[in-house]
Amino acid sequence: MRLNDAVIGIVLVLFALAMIWHTRTFPAMPGQDYGPALFPTLIGIGFIVTGGILIAGGLARRRTEPWFAGGAWLRSPHHVIDFLAVVGGLLLYMVVSGWLGFILTSLLLLFGWLVLFRGGKPISSFAIALAVTLVVDYAFSQLLLVPLPLGLLQPLIY
Amino acid sequence: MPALEEALLLVFDPYVIAVILLSSLFGLVVGALPGLTATMATALLVPITFFMEPVPAIGAIIAASAMAIFAGDISGTLLRIPGTPASAAYVEDAYRMTGKGQAELALGACLVTSAIGGLFGALVLAFSAPALAEFALRFSSPEYFWLACFGLSCAVFISTDAPVKGVVSLLIGLFIATVGIDITAGYPRFTFGSVELMGGVSFIPAMIGMFAIGEILRYTIAMERPVEAVHQAIVHVFRGLGRVLWRYRTNMMRGNLIGVVVGVLPGAGADIAAWISYAVAKRFSKEPEKFGTGHVEGLVDAGAANNSALGGAWVPALVFGIPGDSITAIVIGVLYMKNMNPGPTIMLHAPELLYAVFITFFVANVLMMPLGYAAIRLSRQILHVPRDTLMPVILIFCIVGAFAINNTVFGVGIILVLGLLAFIMEENGFPIAPAVLGIVLGPLVEDSFMTSMIKSDGNLLGFFERPIAAVLGVVTVLIWTWVIVGWSVRAWRGRPSPMDPETAD
Repeated sequence: MRLNDAVIGIVLVLFALAMIWHTRTFPAMPGQDYGPALFPTLIGIGFIVTGGILIAGGLARRRTEPWFAGGAWLRSPHHVIDFLAVVGGLLLYMVVSGWLGFILTSLLLLFGWLVLFRGGKPISSFAIALAVTLVVDYAFSQLLLVPLPLGLLQPLIY
Repeated sequence: MPALEEALLLVFDPYVIAVILLSSLFGLVVGALPGLTATMATALLVPITFFMEPVPAIGAIIAASAMAIFAGDISGTLLRIPGTPASAAYVEDAYRMTGKGQAELALGACLVTSAIGGLFGALVLAFSAPALAEFALRFSSPEYFWLACFGLSCAVFISTDAPVKGVVSLLIGLFIATVGIDITAGYPRFTFGSVELMGGVSFIPAMIGMFAIGEILRYTIAMERPVEAVHQAIVHVFRGLGRVLWRYRTNMMRGNLIGVVVGVLPGAGADIAAWISYAVAKRFSKEPEKFGTGHVEGLVDAGAANNSALGGAWVPALVFGIPGDSITAIVIGVLYMKNMNPGPTIMLHAPELLYAVFITFFVANVLMMPLGYAAIRLSRQILHVPRDTLMPVILIFCIVGAFAINNTVFGVGIILVLGLLAFIMEENGFPIAPAVLGIVLGPLVEDSFMTSMIKSDGNLLGFFERPIAAVLGVVTVLIWTWVIVGWSVRAWRGRPSPMDPETAD
């Protein structure tokens, strides 16, 4: 997923402008010339300078370099699905783990990922998912005392 | 020395030794598997070390990283895929030696030079760190400001071919570090009302995201899945090795030295040490034409260098709190969480911790011989671990690790966002290491800058008034001037410039 440097440069400059604009709302420190806005502003200026260099370089190579080169994987549905499954799985965990609880969410995610990456094999995938979930749950909630959410299983456990 | 005795007791505790052994095995497996790097091994260990005392926590990281750097040679030799980037420099030679039926010699040479390189790095660390710490006790905020700037400059200019992209990466890291309550005025910056962000972007989820999730995402889009390991009997790992190592004894010493020096420089770690020492070996070899065709000479140099770099990287990390590479950047984050702020005062407050680091380095590198030998003998089984099964397991581990730090799913959000960021950066040739150094050093740079400004009443010259600060400041300013002038001159003459990412790739 290669972007032309000019595209990245533009994103950086826009980001920096928004950031500097936002730092203007930061309060000044009484009796000091420098306050909490100083460092973010310097970083923003840095983004603008480097972004400018990237834009210049990217435009100079415009003929040989497209704005966006996807890479072979974007044309392979199998790879795109694998990629999205990782991103989607993490999002799903954030949304449902509190309600479902760690054990059920982990079981669901592991099973899904395993079936997807290994190309089928649901029975062994389920066995692996169950074993890994129980080991991780034991290690973190029993040994390291991390309060992993119990969720729907709470009435069963207590 | 009572501190040394105390440190010996701390390290040779059955629990600590067990932690070191287990982390060593973990490091060997992770390092040997292509796609899982030594830095990832460290990042995955961090959530567990969070729950340990400082000495076992640090011992676990030292052992796992040292073993992983060696183990990267195993898959490089047998699969032609470097297990960690640190083995990439000489993967061609190592693999072609296997083609000639010399896999045993190649792996043996890697193992022994790795262990010796690691011990050399540990020696340098043990002798230089206390002396440097004594010197560094005279430092105040202007010195720390310049030291951090010097470290960040090195990270940008050493670790990349395209300095502009290195600078961008560094700025991204510094920006991430500004999120949260600001140090001097206590004003919440870039939190947008989120209470979770007030404490800043938590360090452990950030590392897991950038090193583990980023790599898993790259794994999912890898077009070719790994090839079969070469079937070759690997039994007599040490046969004929003594003769070879004696013949190339100066190479080994040279590799050790280059490794330590590159390791000490901030931002450059084992992988760059290996590339530089391989190039130096070729340059000064009597038979440079043999390099790349399955010649053991470069393996000796670079195999020693990448492990000695590990010890070197700990020198600035412990003495100044400035990481020498990404692994020590993670270590510094871990030390801060344990309220053991790295820096010269560690010599005064916790000398036993410093000695424990030295001792663990020796223990880990001595253990490397038997454990590494076992890993070589079992290499076929290790390389057969199905990565399709491993990746989901690592993912769930990352999730729980990120959750465990603050007990909120917000950590999972951080690993996702920073994982995607690292993925996009890597795809477009932006190095990750400067960003990590930016995250770690950002608060130090800002804090020391603001403190110095308040002390000197807003006078910028205050940064040059103390002698050590003046020297450090002038050196840092010179590095930047040199790079910028050099770039402008080349741009003026219309030659391809190294600032231009395209020609430098």
